[in-house]
Amino acid sequence: MRWIRTISAGTQEGAEELGGKARGLVLLHRLGLRVPAAFVVTTGACRAFRQERHLPAGLAAELATAITSLERSTGRTFGGSRKPLAVSVRSGARASMPGMMNTILNLGLTTGATTALTAETGDRPFALDSRLRFLSSFAAAVTDADMNAVKAAPGGDPPPGTERGQAHLTDAARAIEALVRERCGRPVPDDANRQLEWAVEAVFSSWDTPRARTYRTLNDIPHDLGTAVIVQTMAFGNRDGHSGTGVAFSRDPNTGENVPYGDVLFGHQGEDVVGGRTTTRPLRELAEREPAVWRELLDALGRIERHHRDACYVEFTYQSGELWFLQTRPGRFTGGAAVRAATELADEHVISRQEALLRISPQHLQHVRTPRIASSGEADILARGIGACPGVAAGAVATTADQAVRMARDTPVILVRPETSPGDMHGLAAAAGIVTARGGPASHAAVVARALSKPAVVGLTGLTVDTHGGSITVGGRSAGAGTLVTIDGTSGEVALGTPRVVTDAADHHLHRLLGWADDITGDHGERDESRRLEAARAALRRR
Amino acid sequence: MNQPETRTTGPGLLVLHALRCTGATGPDRLRLVTGLDAFDVESELIDLGAAGLVTRTAGPMPGWWLTDAGRAADAERITDELESAAARAAVTAAYERFLVLNPELLDLCRAWQLRTVDGVVSANNHRDAAYDARVLDRFADLDRRAATVCAELSAALPRFGRYRARFAGALERAGSGALEYVTDSTASYHTIWAELHEDLLATLGIPR
Repeated sequence: MRWIRTISAGTQEGAEELGGKARGLVLLHRLGLRVPAAFVVTTGACRAFRQERHLPAGLAAELATAITSLERSTGRTFGGSRKPLAVSVRSGARASMPGMMNTILNLGLTTGATTALTAETGDRPFALDSRLRFLSSFAAAVTDADMNAVKAAPGGDPPPGTERGQAHLTDAARAIEALVRERCGRPVPDDANRQLEWAVEAVFSSWDTPRARTYRTLNDIPHDLGTAVIVQTMAFGNRDGHSGTGVAFSRDPNTGENVPYGDVLFGHQGEDVVGGRTTTRPLRELAEREPAVWRELLDALGRIERHHRDACYVEFTYQSGELWFLQTRPGRFTGGAAVRAATELADEHVISRQEALLRISPQHLQHVRTPRIASSGEADILARGIGACPGVAAGAVATTADQAVRMARDTPVILVRPETSPGDMHGLAAAAGIVTARGGPASHAAVVARALSKPAVVGLTGLTVDTHGGSITVGGRSAGAGTLVTIDGTSGEVALGTPRVVTDAADHHLHRLLGWADDITGDHGERDESRRLEAARAALRRR
Repeated sequence: MNQPETRTTGPGLLVLHALRCTGATGPDRLRLVTGLDAFDVESELIDLGAAGLVTRTAGPMPGWWLTDAGRAADAERITDELESAAARAAVTAAYERFLVLNPELLDLCRAWQLRTVDGVVSANNHRDAAYDARVLDRFADLDRRAATVCAELSAALPRFGRYRARFAGALERAGSGALEYVTDSTASYHTIWAELHEDLLATLGIPR
């Protein structure tokens, strides 16, 4: 085939042609890990698409052929009326461009295939939910619309198990289909192969959105690389009580400590899922709930880490107790965590001391002494979001800007909001720290927090803010206004009370690393830390 | 046949709505936001205060603030203005185009504040003039596209014309070295952008 490669242990071409994600999957195969059957459409096809403004000749036929072989290896049928095959469609360029391009899930779930999935599993809510996930991710890829606004039920989503819940799933699906018809002038195809062609086209087009171009300009990524497209058999983390999905690091990315770290979203949580909201749980809970999956995951993290000779990151799904790996990359730790991981890897004889020094650029030292909550172990962590502005702040919870201003006259305040808007400015100014439920590191709250140099945590999934009652709820626990909390704008942790705060968590490791640096240069005199490190690195690079 | 009227918004509603979109605000900033002179702002605030629609606040950002009645009055008057100008369809279309630009603008603000060097994200110390120029160049590019959206909005409702002038002013000042006009001041591009976002939501009656 000209435009498509099957992903297997034997796949040869590099990231230039297949993208970083596909190379990660090839690595997982080589390490003997379970990877859902997949193929990749090359960046060459994307480059041809950019020139010709349509999918290159022959690609549609190749897609059909590649799908046939996925059907063979899975024993399922794409868009079929029995045992339907569903796939994910993801972008993957040589350089990572997080959040810039689209991912489409559960593609192939036509109306017929959704009925077939219901028949196969006997679980209609699961099938409807899976179809809705397909439609919303597909619509987000082919239109510019904000899908959350279309999908959300007023007053929160009803539980999918109830009749009202199923009616909501069906209504939301119809609303999304109507939106695609209106915006694109054509309906969502009810033919799986047509869905796939359109999805591949949408991923290729997303390479050239103004936003993606801006991102590349700012990050020195050439515009003519193009993106590959990975088409992979779906593993369903929402299949049943023994299914889930998560991300894991082989070591703690906040501290560098040699313990697995991550988040897991348990699949069907039945009545636990209040109002259709789901919350991720710390990875270690997997050990109790799914011991076999946990053991297999630890073994895999060890294998991948030995390959990279560095901390690593994986995305996984387990379906009915069977673990599948969807993606991997090196851990990319920073600051104190990078120092500790590199030093300990040298102690473990995984890398040499010289290599440890070469891995730590002076940039990392700038962050080594940022104040941090001492450790997740001893603090009572309420929830974890995304750190948006580093530093630690402690204060009383306020749920509105007005309340923050009033309370701030007497005590430091942490302003907790669903998201922020200009109307919250006086509260943001009065608060010692900021927490929001929604938004990422570029949200309004994040930009303002950095402008004001205040610690901030954003994107605290599952957090609800009751501004009338003046309380916040997350992960089944509530805290009223005035409750003392501490936030860590590096790790994104929100802890109850005032846990110990440290600035020297990595000092011991840094001290040793700099000792090795001095051994290289032979200069043990008093000097600035970054100069000691830079001198050793320069000496090593000359060798 | 009734022709939709294209009216200019009265000063009372301009001040009321400015407070709706900016939060607690002092008279100087209200002048910038509305384009009214100091005397008009002051006299409108007195009238709105007498009507119980605005109130003065203390705290770290002292200024004027909408009362609940003021918020309700603004919603009613601003909807009335939208409907009598028959501008809902045009403003909705412009809002959708605004939403496409919004994530890119936020990416740019982030790139202005944070920079990845050797794989480490650190605060942009603004010592690399070439990097800053590159970010500002992308701001200017986005601003050209935002100008189209602003033009559509002010054709539908003239009061939106004020944003164009404010955006251009912020970029001009940032370009001549006043770096706080990108993300860090109350007159920054980011602040004006967030106010426009709030204005569009308020005008169309879309809850957050």
